[in-house]
Amino acid sequence: MSANPGLAYQDTPPFSAPLRFFLTAPLFGVVAGLVLLFAPGVLESRWTPPALALVHLFAAGFMLQVMLGALLQVLPVVAGAAMPAPARVAGASHLVLAGGTLALAWGLGRIAPEAILAGAGLLAAGLLIFLAAAVRALLDAPATAGASRTPRDLRYALAGLAVTAALGVLLALVLSRGLALPVPLPMLVDLHAGWGWLGWGGLLLAATSWVVVPMFQITPAYPARLTRHWAPTVLVALLAWSAATLGGHALPATATGLALLALAALFAIATVRLQSRSRRSTPDASFRAFRLAMFAALGGLVALLGTMLTDIERLPVVAGVLVMHGAFGGAISAMLYKIVPFLTWLHLTQAGIKAPNMKKLLPDAPMRRQLQAHAATLAVLLAAAVLPVLAPLAGLLLMVEFGWLFGNLLRAVRAGRRARG
Amino acid sequence: MNTIVVDTRGLEPPEPFERAMEALVDLKPGESMRLLLDRMPHPLLRMLDRDGYRHAAEVREDAVEILITRP
Repeated sequence: MSANPGLAYQDTPPFSAPLRFFLTAPLFGVVAGLVLLFAPGVLESRWTPPALALVHLFAAGFMLQVMLGALLQVLPVVAGAAMPAPARVAGASHLVLAGGTLALAWGLGRIAPEAILAGAGLLAAGLLIFLAAAVRALLDAPATAGASRTPRDLRYALAGLAVTAALGVLLALVLSRGLALPVPLPMLVDLHAGWGWLGWGGLLLAATSWVVVPMFQITPAYPARLTRHWAPTVLVALLAWSAATLGGHALPATATGLALLALAALFAIATVRLQSRSRRSTPDASFRAFRLAMFAALGGLVALLGTMLTDIERLPVVAGVLVMHGAFGGAISAMLYKIVPFLTWLHLTQAGIKAPNMKKLLPDAPMRRQLQAHAATLAVLLAAAVLPVLAPLAGLLLMVEFGWLFGNLLRAVRAGRRARG
Repeated sequence: MNTIVVDTRGLEPPEPFERAMEALVDLKPGESMRLLLDRMPHPLLRMLDRDGYRHAAEVREDAVEILITRP
């Protein structure tokens, strides 16, 4: 095994395994748009039932689907961890998770306790299937020496996902079965969101960025000190914040909360600085979208800071829009535009077929226009957080954005099919 | 003997792989090329093994350098 953080493609799973996740994910964005379009007052607070449905369509639908698809691909290639029967694991967990997300969103949006419980149960079952296969693969993987921190940080992100899911199941039991807990419900929701955003989403985005940003955006590597210490520090800070919050210690909870915001900002700033040193002559659409996502993350962190220090009414919704749609939505779209054409190319090449140029599989212009739609949607979503009358327009734009993303990804896959003849 | 140099540093995947494959086509038996990359090209090395090319890799601070010789 080479000490160089190169990529080993011989363990690549069949294309259909990650692809089913990548193509389903944008459809959840379209459904989220429907909720915004038809549920009145959805963005009036983070606690309205349709807002909870919206958040879960986006997080457990769009984000989770893409992230699991990417993990299927990344675990064998970057961590040398090949899953047993990847196509079957992907097929089973994909269906169960998609059904669970729809049930959960329906239950939260319509205040239907049985649907909440069924949704949470299905999500937990789907994740168990996936996590069991992932853990098995990671245990069997050869120990990789060398500079890449990605394999270790992927393990941390899976642990963060497990904690987020466990807290989610607990919340579902509280809401549907009246399970009595010694802590107030909003506190448990904050822990669930904190672990979801940073313990799972943030760690996974960072672990992937360590490899993908230098590779596709032609930048220098991230500073070794950052990649060595960032993820473990985030995990320790999350545990300390959780303990302080549960223990009701206000000052340590605030201090560790601020530390978490600072850590997230550090990652975003390091990425923006790295991008400014790219050797690319002209930034492509994906590059610009990733940069916008990092600025949205910084804006979201400032808004979160505001929610800790003030009681400004709409600020939590603004923070949610910036972090989820702006930062995660933007960065994930940018990565999908690199991953899906690249995998199409890779599978053709491995089959001994002369693959078309990546630019032919998916030209820059449709990506650029779709990502402009993403930026416009973000702007209107932010406006709708302050002026709720704009929510239906934001919903319409969200449907256009994600429908378009689906169309563009399908275009790359179809170009690959045509090359096969 | 001439050794051609193919520098693929700073190119976005999969262009380094494509450039290397194009250069390999022009190589005559016994000729060598030096390939400079940003990271270890595992897929290319597997393809070289399969087709019987000899190769030696050196990991440097500024590049991964592979000396490839056509049999």
